[in-house]
Amino acid sequence: MKGKFAWYVVSLILVLLVLMATGAAFAKEKKEILIGTNLPMTGILAGVGVEQKWAYEQAVNDLNKKGGILVKEYGKKLPVKLVVADDESDPGKAAAVVERMIKMDKVDLLLGGFAAPFGVIPGCVTAEKYKKYYHTSICLIPPWLEQKFKWSTLFFFDLGQGCDIPYQIWDSFPASDKITKPALLMEDSFDGRAFSGIFRDLAKKHGYTFALDEPWAIGQKDYSSLVVKAKSLGVDAILIFGADADCITFVRQMKESKLNVKYMHGWKGTWAGEFWNALGKDAQYILCDGFWSMDFPYPGAKELGERYVKKFNKYSVSIGALYGLCQILWTAIEKAGTLDSAKVREAVLANEFDTVMGKVKYDKDGVAVFLSTASQWWDGKQMLVYPFDRTTWKVKVAPPWDKR
Amino acid sequence: MLILPMVVFAGLPFIVDSESSYLVFFLFVTFINITIVQGWNLVGGYAGQVSLGQHAFFGLGAYITAITWLRGLTGYFDPLAMILSGFGAAILAIGVGIPLLSKLRGDYFALGTLGLGEILRVIFTQGGTLTGGSVGLLLPSRVYESMKPYYFISLGLAVFATIAIYFIIKSHIGKALIATRDDEVAAEASGIHTLKYKVLAFSISAFLTGLGGSLQAYYLFHIHPAGFFSLKWALYPILMSIMGGAGTILGPVIGAFFLTGVFELVNIWLPEGHPIFSGGLIVVVMLFLPNGLIRLRLKRVIGKKGERRGDK
Repeated sequence: MKGKFAWYVVSLILVLLVLMATGAAFAKEKKEILIGTNLPMTGILAGVGVEQKWAYEQAVNDLNKKGGILVKEYGKKLPVKLVVADDESDPGKAAAVVERMIKMDKVDLLLGGFAAPFGVIPGCVTAEKYKKYYHTSICLIPPWLEQKFKWSTLFFFDLGQGCDIPYQIWDSFPASDKITKPALLMEDSFDGRAFSGIFRDLAKKHGYTFALDEPWAIGQKDYSSLVVKAKSLGVDAILIFGADADCITFVRQMKESKLNVKYMHGWKGTWAGEFWNALGKDAQYILCDGFWSMDFPYPGAKELGERYVKKFNKYSVSIGALYGLCQILWTAIEKAGTLDSAKVREAVLANEFDTVMGKVKYDKDGVAVFLSTASQWWDGKQMLVYPFDRTTWKVKVAPPWDKR
Repeated sequence: MLILPMVVFAGLPFIVDSESSYLVFFLFVTFINITIVQGWNLVGGYAGQVSLGQHAFFGLGAYITAITWLRGLTGYFDPLAMILSGFGAAILAIGVGIPLLSKLRGDYFALGTLGLGEILRVIFTQGGTLTGGSVGLLLPSRVYESMKPYYFISLGLAVFATIAIYFIIKSHIGKALIATRDDEVAAEASGIHTLKYKVLAFSISAFLTGLGGSLQAYYLFHIHPAGFFSLKWALYPILMSIMGGAGTILGPVIGAFFLTGVFELVNIWLPEGHPIFSGGLIVVVMLFLPNGLIRLRLKRVIGKKGERRGDK
């Protein structure tokens, strides 16, 4: 009995797989636009995957409330359906699920995943194989350009601009708060290495010399040796790149060791609401990077931010870029008048777009650059400090731990 | 019995469009899995040495393919690169296998091999321009033309691995490995040089896994330590082998088909909760079918033969 059952299960799986291969091939009248996306719903990036999925879903819901996109080829407005596939924060799986969405779900177009090595590059490579347009963000520009992709485009910030922000902020400090002994503490990863090289070059340009410059291996649980070194060298500012768990541990160990710095600016690990929730007031004065702010003066930005706060009870400095990415795609489809991948990509390159990120224009290589932001944690909210012209908040220099 | 599926698999890309059919891709993934599962089956299923370090060989195979291609020594789908990847992994297995297998047994050997994968991951992360560090190596994806060569090479590797294991097991090497697995002391007493055979099995296993890594590198075009030295390349072969039936020829094939299919279907139906379902299914199958799916079939065949002979 048990044997029969097992063979039935195996047979059932094989039948389902055959259906997988053939079932979606039947032609139907076009009723909706299928947009596929590979997101990290499980694995190490699951936290950001949830946020990214939410931003995409908001953009789809807002569009569908207006009836969808007018596609000339079909002579009517079509709603968008988002097909989400879990890439398990794994590059091999990311390639596999993009392949599946193209071949089985028969998606019309693709929206990008998260992080260059895990989701975006494998997604772009697979889309390239099948000549399907992959409209993406969250990937550093140089490694993406290196591949000369013809079937994807990238919407992201320029690393040089993002890395220049702390120096511009330091240059604006009065003489009494001048930074003299900064430290560069970067995670040894794809992005960490890319950031650290540019930080070093720009430090020279601005006349700063790092008193401490050390990478750390991913997954390191104890940063006390770095903290002790920084303290012994009299470090007065820290630029740190790492995951949120690393940054949280680092700040806790800083406080325990009474390492006082005037300025601490984090990339990747200090922007999430979890950073504030874990550290509370100890996160005060710390700066984070970001892609966007709900304080941006663009239509829909504030409302999107408020919706996010209502849903998650925390603030976000990233969802605007993902929502804006969708806005660009919706407009490009309408301008192209078709769901043909090549023509939609052409429309992305040829037009200018109004989004919650402001106006967006792509260059001939398929890259559109937005300004990286900087915000300072203050009572649980990230207060926008950069770009200077879009905010009135001035960076507050951190007092010693025992005077807070 | 096996000719018909072989003919079907070989003819499939000529019946369905390999560029639009997901089945072709699914089978490509399954065939790679069969190759590395057969590798583990030899060392774990037949020789009884549980290796938790297959991800080291998989990653090393992928890096050898990528590095030789980027340095102009080999090219796209270059047999030389694939063979070098297999041999590179096999040489590493011999290098670490001799000290590990001569000193460690059982759980200790398993933990020793687990360490090997982690060591390699760190070495390749710190490998500078040669390995691309944590960024890894990006291969020129523009050369991709069709899914067909991937499909046929993976099918070829799976068939090669299965036939190779079959002949090894039928030879005196197989008998020595099984004797070592069943009772190492008795095998030694019978004059079998157990270390020699265990190292041989370990290196053949690494060779097959390295070939799998090489093909995966050609498919992904982006090789980096987190993906290619992921523990899943060590755990999946064990799961597939045990679930299908470790220590049998067809068990790993069934296990690879079964688990690759289950993981795929559950990922589609439960995109956010599939690890819970997959984990639960593995627990249930291990509870009720600890000897693997293949042995259900064997049990039934033996049972029927017994009935015909009048046995109760």
